[in-house]
Amino acid sequence: MERLTVLCFAGTYALALLGELARFGVRAPLRWYATVGLTALAWFVQTAYLLNLASVSGHVPMTTVFESMMALSWIFAALGLYFMVHAPKPVAVGTFILPIVVALTTVAGLAAPRRADWGASWSGATVFWGSTHGLFLLAGAVSTCVAFAAGLMYLAQAKKLKTKRPSRFGITLPSLEQSERINRAAITIAFPLLTFGLLIGLILSMTTNAAAPGGPALTWFDPKVISALAMWLVFAVLLHARFRPAMRGRGVVVLTIIAFAFLVFTWVGVEALRLPTAHGVSRTNPNATATGRPL
Amino acid sequence: MRLVAVGVDYRSAPASVREALAFDGDKGPGGLRALTEAFPSCEFVVLSTCNRVEVYVAGDPENVPGVDALASFLSGFHQIPDETFAGHLVSYHDEGSIGHLFRVAASLESLVLGEGQILGQVREAYREAKKHNTAGPILHKVFENAIRVGKKVREETGMDQGKLSVASVAVDVARGVFDTFTDKTVLVIGAGKMGDLTLRHLKTLNPGKILVTNRSPERAEAAAQRWGGQAVPFERLNLALIEADVVVSTTAADDPILTYDQYVRVQRARRNRLALILDIAIPRDVEPRVGDLDRVMLYNVDDLRAQAEENRKQRMRGVDPALAIIERETAVCYAALRHQRYAGAVLKQLGENVDAIRKREISALYDACPDLTEPQRAAIAHMAQRLQNQFLHQPRAALRSAAAEPVQEHPHPLLHAVRHLFGLADG
Repeated sequence: MERLTVLCFAGTYALALLGELARFGVRAPLRWYATVGLTALAWFVQTAYLLNLASVSGHVPMTTVFESMMALSWIFAALGLYFMVHAPKPVAVGTFILPIVVALTTVAGLAAPRRADWGASWSGATVFWGSTHGLFLLAGAVSTCVAFAAGLMYLAQAKKLKTKRPSRFGITLPSLEQSERINRAAITIAFPLLTFGLLIGLILSMTTNAAAPGGPALTWFDPKVISALAMWLVFAVLLHARFRPAMRGRGVVVLTIIAFAFLVFTWVGVEALRLPTAHGVSRTNPNATATGRPL
Repeated sequence: MRLVAVGVDYRSAPASVREALAFDGDKGPGGLRALTEAFPSCEFVVLSTCNRVEVYVAGDPENVPGVDALASFLSGFHQIPDETFAGHLVSYHDEGSIGHLFRVAASLESLVLGEGQILGQVREAYREAKKHNTAGPILHKVFENAIRVGKKVREETGMDQGKLSVASVAVDVARGVFDTFTDKTVLVIGAGKMGDLTLRHLKTLNPGKILVTNRSPERAEAAAQRWGGQAVPFERLNLALIEADVVVSTTAADDPILTYDQYVRVQRARRNRLALILDIAIPRDVEPRVGDLDRVMLYNVDDLRAQAEENRKQRMRGVDPALAIIERETAVCYAALRHQRYAGAVLKQLGENVDAIRKREISALYDACPDLTEPQRAAIAHMAQRLQNQFLHQPRAALRSAAAEPVQEHPHPLLHAVRHLFGLADG
């Protein structure tokens, strides 16, 4: 089990993606089975990897950016697999989902820190609320990924209809109405999840700051806090736009893409750019603190 | 083994001849029964559709009737003179008949290339033959393969993809925009023939509501009644547009009846819901700029025709790959059939040969021991039979397994070896 590396399933997902993209040229029904089979194989290997991670560390694998991104890609891959199996074979769901899965696993494998500096003095309640904060954000991120994929499908189908191109053989997309419905539902679910997740995180930071004065403290100017607030703001605008008739369609989809970009930045951007943060999950260097007034 | 396919299709015979030869209704089972009575040692499947009537016959060469005999049968069964259809009959033999059936199942022989109905009709013809026990080992294999090849050709070439008529392309476009139609309203502006045709196709989507409007209220009312819809006065067009999700416009107006500015207001009132406008009028009823609106998909008759033409070309591009698949599959199927028949003949010969040896030896033993009682003779005969069965069990099983293998070379080396080992004559 120790020998299982991210490369095993990231590579298999990439092969599945190649199989999915082959639909633009290969017409044999075997291609579909190969794609779904490879996706399922990669997902099972990733499941084994996450189980191993949990058994070695003794906790749910969500305590580092790396682990939470792995969990995100794992859940999103499971959803993708479900849609790929249940949608008719010509519907190119995998074309939109697998690239996101490959990107998430690759970014997690290459850029996400595998260590986190959790407060050693954290009590059981703090750990519980910390995990709840992570779970809410993870669920919100899954919904955002779904909204993002559905938004891309909407844009592709709208372009096809506007340019009046007939369907290429073996490739169809969900109707505009269906993509829009999935996008709207996913945004509606994502917003409260992210809001609660961020609120719990905020309260948690305040209480831990108060409990351990002088330790690494999150401030309002912490890059993680700023990007999280900006992300929440984009989601709030998105939720508002969703109810405005004039913004329906392309407007909402474009905002969804921006929201997704903010989510990814909040998740790994701070770490990737090596910005100093005092966030527990991202603070790979215990001595790194941001300047400013504690939350 | 011989296979013959005899019949007429839309290319070789006019509709009157096809109708006269059709095995529709009770004639289907009746025809199969009559064929079995007329040619008792053969297998039959009858494929009868509006575009073709074909009789597939298979069996040993000495039993399978020729084309003339089948023509006489058709004449007698349908009670029509030979000369009515003789000149239109087309026949295929052996490998040719398998290839023909595969092309039929793949819809390469259909009036509309790539249509989906024919595969179901081939399946139904085969099911009917199975029901009446007229399909034997040869036609079982041929028809099961035909159904598989028909599906394979469609899957690998996309022969059945994309609609070919303007009205059915419109339905495809509607499916690309909307997911469900039971909560949608279709508005038909004008009551022309083209509108009727498009609406007939759109009706298959089960729209929740149909509105019809026309400058002539009587014509609107008539069309609404025809389609189970609701007539709307032409003066209330804008209100109907606000309600409608799919608009089919077919008026004969010289100027556009739907302008950009007008539809911008409509769209605002519709709270920017998705809309599909099918402008199938010439000259156009809808200002082309309406299609620039983000949530409005505007298709005119030229757009729909262009898509239908592109779909037709796409199907045509599938013909060569389809023929290549069929050629390959035909060769494999025919070789497998020959192989199975050959293996069957070897098995039969092997059994007969060993039977003859056993009987000869038992007879010699009885002659040498005349004092044997009847129970003793019976026990010896039983033992010899068991011995023979046990000796032959393994070779027979191996031969059957070899016969089921995909054909690499004909005959299978094992069949050749058995002939050689048991001293069986070639045949």
